[in-house]
Amino acid sequence: MATLPNGQKLPGKLFVVEGIDGSGKSTQLDLLRKWLIGEGYCVAFSEWNSSPIVGETTRLGKKKKMLTPLTFSLIHAADFADRMERQMLPALKAGTVVLADRYIYTAFARDAARGLDRQWLKRLYSFAVRPTVAFYFDVPLDESLKRILAGRPALKYYEAGMDMHFSEDPYQSFEVFQGLILNEYKRIVEEEKLTVIDATLPLVEQQDLVREIASRHLKGVLRTEPSAWRSALTGEALYGRYIDEVLHKKES
Amino acid sequence: MAQRKCYGIDLLGLSDLDLPGKLIVLEGTDGVGRSTQIALLREWLEANGYAVASTGLKRSALAGKGLDLAQEGHTLGVITSNLFYATDFADRLEKTIVPALRAGFVVLTDRYIYSMIARAVVRGVDPAWIRDVFGFALIPDAVFYLTIDLPHLIPRLLSERSFDYWESGMDFLRHRDYYESYIDYQSLLLAEFDSMAKEFNFRRIDATQKIPKVFNAIKKDIEILVKDMKRMEFVQPAAAAAREPRKTGE
Repeated sequence: MATLPNGQKLPGKLFVVEGIDGSGKSTQLDLLRKWLIGEGYCVAFSEWNSSPIVGETTRLGKKKKMLTPLTFSLIHAADFADRMERQMLPALKAGTVVLADRYIYTAFARDAARGLDRQWLKRLYSFAVRPTVAFYFDVPLDESLKRILAGRPALKYYEAGMDMHFSEDPYQSFEVFQGLILNEYKRIVEEEKLTVIDATLPLVEQQDLVREIASRHLKGVLRTEPSAWRSALTGEALYGRYIDEVLHKKES
Repeated sequence: MAQRKCYGIDLLGLSDLDLPGKLIVLEGTDGVGRSTQIALLREWLEANGYAVASTGLKRSALAGKGLDLAQEGHTLGVITSNLFYATDFADRLEKTIVPALRAGFVVLTDRYIYSMIARAVVRGVDPAWIRDVFGFALIPDAVFYLTIDLPHLIPRLLSERSFDYWESGMDFLRHRDYYESYIDYQSLLLAEFDSMAKEFNFRRIDATQKIPKVFNAIKKDIEILVKDMKRMEFVQPAAAAAREPRKTGE
């Protein structure tokens, strides 16, 4: 069940994925999404930091390096609130599956790693719906760093935790910051009873576990009449978020 | 060392800082005359050699513009709106208010956290939650609450502009009519402000009086607050004029 903070049960189901960068959580969520749609469920999707009305301010703050740990936290909370109020909550009330790529635990981990008070963070996000299942993709720091840094990508300032001045070198800073975030996640997994998936397992095995756990909660979920386009593509296992974007544009 | 407290959890470590300035808040509903009084206070304080900084809602470099844009579409939800305002407030607290207090300024702020709390609570937000979110706010040296009733407020507002969507509570009250919505919303807000007066130690100023009277009432209290503060050496206008080269070509 997805439940409101006051304990009221919502007809929809909320599955969220959590984990440090490079844990493979987005890939797993995308696979789950393809499968759910293929099974005919009505699925809504919400991604961290994607609110259209808050995004402009977050981008400005990041670009100009104006964000402090506190304003970084608050603007992401505003972004989350907008998606909760306008996107996730209505869908859950309507009875669909809602998939969230990162949820409040991301904020708990990152903002606490930046030194904010853990109790205050919990209070800040106390308006959030309690998820049906929160998957935590557990990966050792070395492994995640290897996955992320293999191609020597350009790390962004806040992503690398450069605002915390751990190191002038973005890669070193990223390692320290990810380590701190991982420690926070370990605490959160215990406290919030997240469902741990071993993210070092082969991709398919992880997905089998995720589907097995999700499928226990799908009774009564709203189903959708798939469009001709969609069913044809889904039949070929070709349905996911990229094609979805294209189809959305075509339809509107 | 001039130490201070926050209302709740001191997220920014402000109680460890030496903040010799004074933080003075003017609160009150939309159109009550806060900005006029702040302008007058600033004139008076600066003329008396005090360094003054001023700030107000939606004036942060980070979130001011974004908040304006978000409000234009009328799609801003209640929680989102509060957290957006909290972002704006935190940015100004960290970048404007605290640095100015450290430097010994008198900081005049047009509204503080109380307006945000009142607006949130009348819209059904948990009063304890919104207080906790804003718990990192410093407790000011004085909060002047400009009181007014609707019969005085309406002509004052309408002689300057028309009813605003948010100031009329059109986002949550089920009126189609701005006037009726405004009356209901402002009545709720005023009642909420009144109920907060004791908790937050508001100094009530009757804002139905004429502008100079209101100003004198506030000034009297501020004089006591700032009397021991550092002042800039007062330069006699005549002496200053003599030192400055005359502007020509007028």
